[in-house]
Formats: sequence, C-alpha cells, structure tokens
Amino acid sequence: MAWIAKNSAGATIERRSEPYLTPVLKAKLEADVLPRYPTKRAALLPVLHAVQHEHHWLPAQALEEIAAFLDLAPSQVLDTASFYEEFWLNPKGKYLIMVCQSLSCELMGQTGLLGKISRKLGIAPGQTTPDGKYTLMTAECLGSCGSAPCALVNEVLHENIHADNFERILDTLE
Amino acid sequence: MPLAQPVLCKRIPTYPWGDPKDRQYVGYDQFTATGGYVGLTKALAMAPKAVIDLVKEAELRGRGGAGFPAGLKWSFLPPEDGQRRYLAVNADESEPGTFKDRLLIDFDPHLLLEGIAIAMHACRLDTAYIYIRGEYHAQAKTLQRAIDEAYAHKIFGEGSRLGQINALWPNCYVHRGAGAYICGEETGLLESLEGKRGWPRIKPPFPAVAGAFARPTIINNVETLAMVGPLLDQGPTWFKSLGKGRPDGVPASVPASFGPKLYGISGHVNRPGVYEENLGIKLSTLIEDHAAGMLKGKKFKAAIPGGISMGVLGPDEYHAELDFDIGRKHNCLGLGTAGVIVMDQDTDMVAVARNIARFFAHESCGQCTPCREGTGWMYKVLTRVEAGGGTLDDLDLLLEVSASMGAMPGTTICGLADGANWAVRTIVNKFWPEFEARVAQTRSNRVSLAVVGATH
Ligand SMILES: Cc1cc2nc3c(=O)[nH]c(=O)nc-3n(C[C@H](O)[C@H](O)[C@H](O)COP(=O)(O)O)c2cc1C
Ligand code: SF4
Ligand code: FES
Repeated sequence: MAWIAKNSAGATIERRSEPYLTPVLKAKLEADVLPRYPTKRAALLPVLHAVQHEHHWLPAQALEEIAAFLDLAPSQVLDTASFYEEFWLNPKGKYLIMVCQSLSCELMGQTGLLGKISRKLGIAPGQTTPDGKYTLMTAECLGSCGSAPCALVNEVLHENIHADNFERILDTLE
Repeated sequence: MPLAQPVLCKRIPTYPWGDPKDRQYVGYDQFTATGGYVGLTKALAMAPKAVIDLVKEAELRGRGGAGFPAGLKWSFLPPEDGQRRYLAVNADESEPGTFKDRLLIDFDPHLLLEGIAIAMHACRLDTAYIYIRGEYHAQAKTLQRAIDEAYAHKIFGEGSRLGQINALWPNCYVHRGAGAYICGEETGLLESLEGKRGWPRIKPPFPAVAGAFARPTIINNVETLAMVGPLLDQGPTWFKSLGKGRPDGVPASVPASFGPKLYGISGHVNRPGVYEENLGIKLSTLIEDHAAGMLKGKKFKAAIPGGISMGVLGPDEYHAELDFDIGRKHNCLGLGTAGVIVMDQDTDMVAVARNIARFFAHESCGQCTPCREGTGWMYKVLTRVEAGGGTLDDLDLLLEVSASMGAMPGTTICGLADGANWAVRTIVNKFWPEFEARVAQTRSNRVSLAVVGATH
C-alpha cells in the first residue's frame, strides 16, 4: 500500500565510511544509464535497482549517496523509493519468497500453499527467519496465471507449485 | 470462424498449430528468415503519415485494456518541432489474469521491436522506452538480448535504417519498474519513467501533446505494437478479414473488433495458457476447444473476460463473444486485456469479490479519496461478509461505494477505481442471491443512496 505514510522523521541514519554507490558502480552508471535519459532524475529507478542488486537492500545512507549522484534532494529519492514495493528500505532475507495471491492463483490453491510454506519456515508473510535466510511475502499477480499457483524466489519464477514440489524448491536454496 | 493461421504466434508454438513445449527464443536471424522486419521495410518505403493512415484504416485497437484505436492515437501528435518525442511501450502487464505480453517478450521479442521501429518512423519518435514490470526479471534480460541484436543489425542506433529522427539516431531502451500495478496506467507509467512515484496525472494534457519529460509521447501496449509489423506487411484488407466487424446498425465511426488477439485463459480449466484467436471468439469455444474444457469436468459458473478490472460474466453468459463490444452486450466494463479467468460451480463468489477488492485496495496509489478509501472499505466489508458477520446494509454499502468511485462517475483521476467498481458491482449484482444468503437478513433504517437510485 504505497500511500501509507512511513515514519522517517527523527530516525537515526546508520553510517559507514565505505560508500554504497561505489566509484566503479558510479562509472558504470554514468557510462551506460545516465545517457539514456534527458533528465538525471529519470535514472533514479535504474540506479536504485543497481544499488539494491549489489547490496540486497537500500539503507538510508545509500539513498543519500544516490541523491547526491543525481542532483536530487534525499527526500525526493526517499519519496520515489518508498512508493515501490520492490525497493527494500529494510534488510530482507537472502531468499525473498513472493507467493502470488491474486485471483487465478487463489482459485488454484494458493491459500493452502502459503500456509504450508509459512509453517515450514516458521514465519508469517511479511517476516524474515531469525537466521536472515528467508523472507516470506505475498505478491499480487506475477503474470503467470496460466501456471498458477506460482511464486517468485529472488529473480526466479516457480510455476505450478503444489504442496509437494514446493518443498523441493526450498531444498534447492542454500 | 477459427483463426486459420497464427499471426502473433507465428513463431511461438501454440495450440492448435504447435506444442508450447517446443517454444524457444527466436533471435534476429530466425526472425528475418521467417518474414520478420518485412513490415518495417515496407513502412520505411512509405511516408510517415501514410503509415499512420494505414494503421488508422485497419482500425487496429489497443490491446492493453482500453481498446483505443492506435492509428487515431498516433494522429493526435502535434506537428514536428525538431525537438524530442518519445515512445513508451507498456510492458507493465500487472492486471490479474493477464500473461500474454510475457509470451511475446519471452519468445518473439523482435516482433515487438519491429512494431516499435515502425511506430518511431510513423510518429517521428526518437527514443523508445520499454517500461517492463520489475518482476519480469528474465523477460527484461531477453528483451535486452533482442535489442542488442537489433542494434547490431541497424534497426536502432547510429546508422539505423530509420535514419535520424528529430536529428537523433533512434534508440530503444529497457526501463524496469519496481512492483506497482498503477505504473501500467499510462500517465503513472510516465511519472515512474521520470523517476517519480507512479501517480497518474490529471488529463488533459494528454501524453500525445505533453507526455514523458513534457514532450509529445505515444504509449502503446506490447501486443498492440507487435501487431503493427504483420499489419504493415499484409495490409489493412487482410487485417480486416480477421476478427469481427462492426455490429449491425452501428455507424462506421464506432470502431469494430478486427484482427487476431491473444487470449490468456486461467483458473478452472484443463489447459490454461495463451491462445491466439479471431476477436469475437465465444467464451465457450475458448474454454472447450482451446483450454480443453472445465477442470475435473465441473460446471461453468463465472468468468472474468479480460483482467479482473472488467467485471464478471455469469452462468448464463457462457457463450459471450469476446470482442470489444462485450461491455455493451454483457454489462461488464469491456474486453480489457482478454485475460480470461474461469470459475467452476464450487467457486465462492464472495471470496472472489474479496480477493479482487483486496487487490485494488492494495494497488490504489492513494491520490483520490474515493479510490483510496472506497477500495479499502470494499475490502473490509467483503472480508466481513465472507467471515459471516455481514448484514444487508453491507451489501447496500458495497453497491453504493462502488457506484460512486471512478473516472467515469468523475470522482477520480484514473481508471483503477473504475476497475474496482465494475468488478465488485458486477459480481454482487450478478450473484446477488449468493451474497444475500451469506449475510444476516437485517437492514437498519438507514436508506442507502444506491437503493433509492441517487447514484448511478
Ligand atoms: C490502473 C490501470 C492499469 C493499467 N495497466 C496496464 C498494463 O499493465 N499494461 C498495459 O498495456 N496497459 C495498461 N493500462 C492501460 C494503459 O493506461 C493504456 O491505455 C495502454 O497502455 C495504451 O496502450 P494500447 O492503446 O496499445 O492498448 C492500465 C490502465 C489502468 C487504468
Ligand atoms: S483513481 Fe486510484 S489509482 Fe487512480 S489516481 Fe486516483 S487514487 Fe490513484
Ligand atoms: S494471478 Fe497469480 S500469477 Fe496471475
């Protein structure tokens, strides 16, 4: 729910000396991404994706660095980043499991599947296992309704998931 | 008449012509060896305006949901002023039940790139951004692979066959979204492309006049553009021999349903998937002949014609013709994306409505109060009804809330609220006895506006 205000006022920002937006990444983005757009701001989504790809989530310091890189105010970067569900402003597990809960998947048994995964991992949707390995989320339609129910594990789509083959998918995640 | 030869699925094995198991990526060489980029060659031999006129004559309607005639949209562009103009390709595909654009991108991306190149030539657009939903990781990579091949063969980039447009060599880029359904709405998409939150814009100005970066911009769906190459190659007469013409007695100004269309079918059927058929195919034919019938031989109860925004067809609408006129004939919002979701006799329609309301409550961008609050109310009320705690008042409230939110009643900026409204309203109306039986038969003295007819 993109319109729910997230409390950021007064939050302390954890800092480290090493930048998240490394000189190597910056050079790459300057060469490949910025020239694609007539404004610097338009590069924001690709830059957020690139930093998140390296670091797995987007700490506040990274947002500040991105703001400086694109000549934006940090609040503008936060405004955009907090709108999109795929941008993680908090740490997430090594494996992000997103189970589709939209109509075709619910008709084909998603509810039971989600319950099974949840019990197996010992966490509810929205939570991360204490060892930081798995984060379980529900997702809306993943564009794979013809092979419902389905789930995205990091960047890999798993289709036609049944109670028994889901265990096998979990087993392959190390 | 069933479609004799596949058009969009020419290189993508699909029943009845081929087996989906044999699908594989079609690269530049295989694409050109099988008639690919011939439409582009023909388009480049024509004046840009003549290409727009041809698309107009063919009455190609948008395949992304609204069914707006593509040629007409292209003709809304202002005259060239030497400055930049953009193409935004809508590959956001997030409407539940819809998985057709993904098929084209996965297996025949050059068909899309050919349409993009033709549109850039016709409309004088120097840069194309393919806005693809963030969850399509593999598809973004596949597209990039095809784009790289297209650059290598001078479709795009320096020395492009298109020549310079607005004094620039034409470019085509993939731009990834990040998980927000609203970015499929065309102006939400543009905001997102500009690096902002995907909040739809108040129109006018329309994108053709002031779109991306406040410059003239054309936005088309993946399937719409994929259709343009074959159309240029084989011509409007061929295109109009497929699909379904104007209904009897309707003036020529009303667009018809010409051409083939990708139909996605999912839910309670034996062989879900994407099929290509003439526009106007009957729902019953799609279920029985293409999707191999109802799952476990159960009885048909309901279907969503084209993505959950469109509302529902009931048991007596099993033979509905799936064309752009379906909204008028069957009291639903329209054909939408033609992503059909089929439900059998055991489906709980209250749960279906609750699932759909949750989707919209979750995806509303929050700008317009009737949408932000209305979708939330509908979800809460339906959750209560499903759990057995509802009353007749709740059903009145549902109808009242849904009738008052949307761009059509004129209370919201974009069509997301109309989708929510039609979905919930048609399910409650068409399955009223089922809803009535689920709630306590009590009604307070409060008179619902919906009941007295004060809202439409
Ligand atoms: C809430 C909402 C979501 C939409 N999502 C999509 C989408 O994911 N893909 C798409 O092509 N069109 C989507 N549309 C329709 C677009 O606004 C637009 O009409 C379409 O991309 C135009 O292309 P076409 O004329 O080629 O169909 C959506 C519309 C609304 C109101
Ligand atoms: S109708 Fe809903 S989704 Fe569309 S702009 Fe308004 S609040 Fe956002
Ligand atoms: S409904 Fe689950 S992938 Fe579309």
